[in-house]
Amino acid sequence: MRRIKRQSLIGIASIIVAAILMFAVIPTWVSSPSNVRNIVLSPLFWPYILSGLTVLIGLGLVVTGFFTTDPDEPEQPAISGGYRRLGILAAIMALTMFALPRLGMVWTSMLIFAATAFLIRTSHPRTAIICAITVPLVLYGFFAHVASVAIPQGNYVRLP
Amino acid sequence: MSFLDSIAAGLSLVGNFEAFAALFVGVLIGTIAGAIPGMSATMAVALTLPFTFAMEAVPAILLLLGVYKGGIFGGCIPAILIKTPGTPASSATVLDGYPMAEKGQAGKALGMALWASCTADLISNLSLILFAGWLASFALNFGPPEFFTLILFSLTIIAGVSGNSLLKGALSAMLGLLLATVGLDLVYGTNRLTFGDPNLMGGLNFIAVLIGLFAMPEVMSMVWDPKPHEGKARGLGNDSVTFGEYKRCFRTIVRGSFIGVFLGSIPGIGAAPAAFLSYSEARRKSPNKANFGKGEVEGVAASESGNNGVAGATLIPLLALGVPGDVITAIIIGAFMIHGLQPGPMMFVLNKDLIYGLFIGLIVSSVFLFFIGSLAIRLFKYVADIPRGVLFPGVLVLCIYGVFAVNNNIFDVGVMFVMGWVGYVMLRNDIPAAPFLIAFILGPLLENNFRQAMLMSGNSPEILFRGPITWFFWFLTLLTVAAIIRAGIRATRNMRSKPGAG
Repeated sequence: MRRIKRQSLIGIASIIVAAILMFAVIPTWVSSPSNVRNIVLSPLFWPYILSGLTVLIGLGLVVTGFFTTDPDEPEQPAISGGYRRLGILAAIMALTMFALPRLGMVWTSMLIFAATAFLIRTSHPRTAIICAITVPLVLYGFFAHVASVAIPQGNYVRLP
Repeated sequence: MSFLDSIAAGLSLVGNFEAFAALFVGVLIGTIAGAIPGMSATMAVALTLPFTFAMEAVPAILLLLGVYKGGIFGGCIPAILIKTPGTPASSATVLDGYPMAEKGQAGKALGMALWASCTADLISNLSLILFAGWLASFALNFGPPEFFTLILFSLTIIAGVSGNSLLKGALSAMLGLLLATVGLDLVYGTNRLTFGDPNLMGGLNFIAVLIGLFAMPEVMSMVWDPKPHEGKARGLGNDSVTFGEYKRCFRTIVRGSFIGVFLGSIPGIGAAPAAFLSYSEARRKSPNKANFGKGEVEGVAASESGNNGVAGATLIPLLALGVPGDVITAIIIGAFMIHGLQPGPMMFVLNKDLIYGLFIGLIVSSVFLFFIGSLAIRLFKYVADIPRGVLFPGVLVLCIYGVFAVNNNIFDVGVMFVMGWVGYVMLRNDIPAAPFLIAFILGPLLENNFRQAMLMSGNSPEILFRGPITWFFWFLTLLTVAAIIRAGIRATRNMRSKPGAG
């Protein structure tokens, strides 16, 4: 029964997203020149069509969700601390975006590597620390000196 | 340009150390990545892509093709030795490969897997060479209406067969098409869904979207459930495969290869169904059918020939029509685009030397696969021991560097993170990500061809039904939808008829 609800929920969510697109986002954020005489060639046409089709698919998911049962497929079991770890990963990602231009990519990557390794409870902490230092340095060496990519250096310590 | 001239031009492109070295390194990386449980061939190709930006077009594409081929084969090693398929394509190999390993015949199973893989790879490559040119010359007659119906058909079949539900696949494709509308309008140049941000004017970066969708969710799954890999690697044993056994399985290998070629050339089907179909056909026709599932070497040959038969054939729609057949070829189309090349029928006219260069490289890749595969079988235990607690943080850091390197833009890293969460939510809800990515790539082509067709006809939709080719693709699209709906209804009925269901 819970699976039926999930499929219907996906359908309801897609209808809501499509409705927001059709009634709020597309009218505001899609510009169309005033001299477009035919709607088919307008920049608005394709986003509206796709949003409309998403509503139809959402309705299909809602309806089939109520009429289909899939009892053989087990629910994904809840993992202890799973949501907390995902929350921490999201925070790591947000901090990464903040730190990349300030600390530079190499130092930020070292911190991300170490933080993620400990977040997933690595059984090899020493190897993780060594890799946290060497992997970003090796990648920096390749991208900066072989591929000539301007890797962000940050405001503090700059690498050659 | 005659056939021999084309081969000579192709040889001039690939007949150098750099091209062969790239191919060799690609097969090596792919085999290692495929053999690591938790890494997939898709992830390996996606993570290798950023390293090709600084390379010439031919070595770059050969490197990726090598990773693809190596990755598909490499998946069979953990499937046989630790009962964990390295890639989904190797799932069928577990059925007989692991029982053989339990009997102390892992060396024989892996040997047969290697012989079958290389044979199938060669057949698949030859099929590509034979059919891609023919299909491309036919596709030269296509105009915008024909391409519109072709892309629509491809998206329908990809949405229908990628997951368990046509509706979820269609939702995924629709979201990909919507995301593809972000950026400047193709005809009028006005802003569409850019939210006033100049970073969005060129649309979302394809590499950021693909790495976000296919690599980041694996990292998130590991964070959700951080468990070390399970299973202990079995020893290779003293038995190795003999020429007599290869000869006995040859018919099965050829049949499996052609099943792989056929299914691989249809967009969206992929290697795993080919492996299972090849396996079931081999079991149906084999005199040893009772032994299947208990450690039959013919079962290993069937599944490995099925999945490797796909590898060359998925390039048929990519090279001839410009339509990626699966996620890996969608990534490879990205490599073409980065180097200013557009796969499709015109490529067979404008870049014939490059096409033949790739064909030559693909044939050589089968030989490299044989030697690297033989070595990988012996060295697997070192690969299997890479701790996941070190591997996945490394993948995360590699993703950040790779995505940044495309445009030197931190904004793309943010796009990758967001798409990672989108991909993870889709993964948790059984919504396939492949239709999303392929629709994201094909979205601008679909819209562009539709608008060109409308311009040609003065906005009359009749042009979309103008000839036998468009009718053919409309018919195939309807047939696909009907077949998928019928299969869904049958599956539901079967489930309800099971005792205790519902």
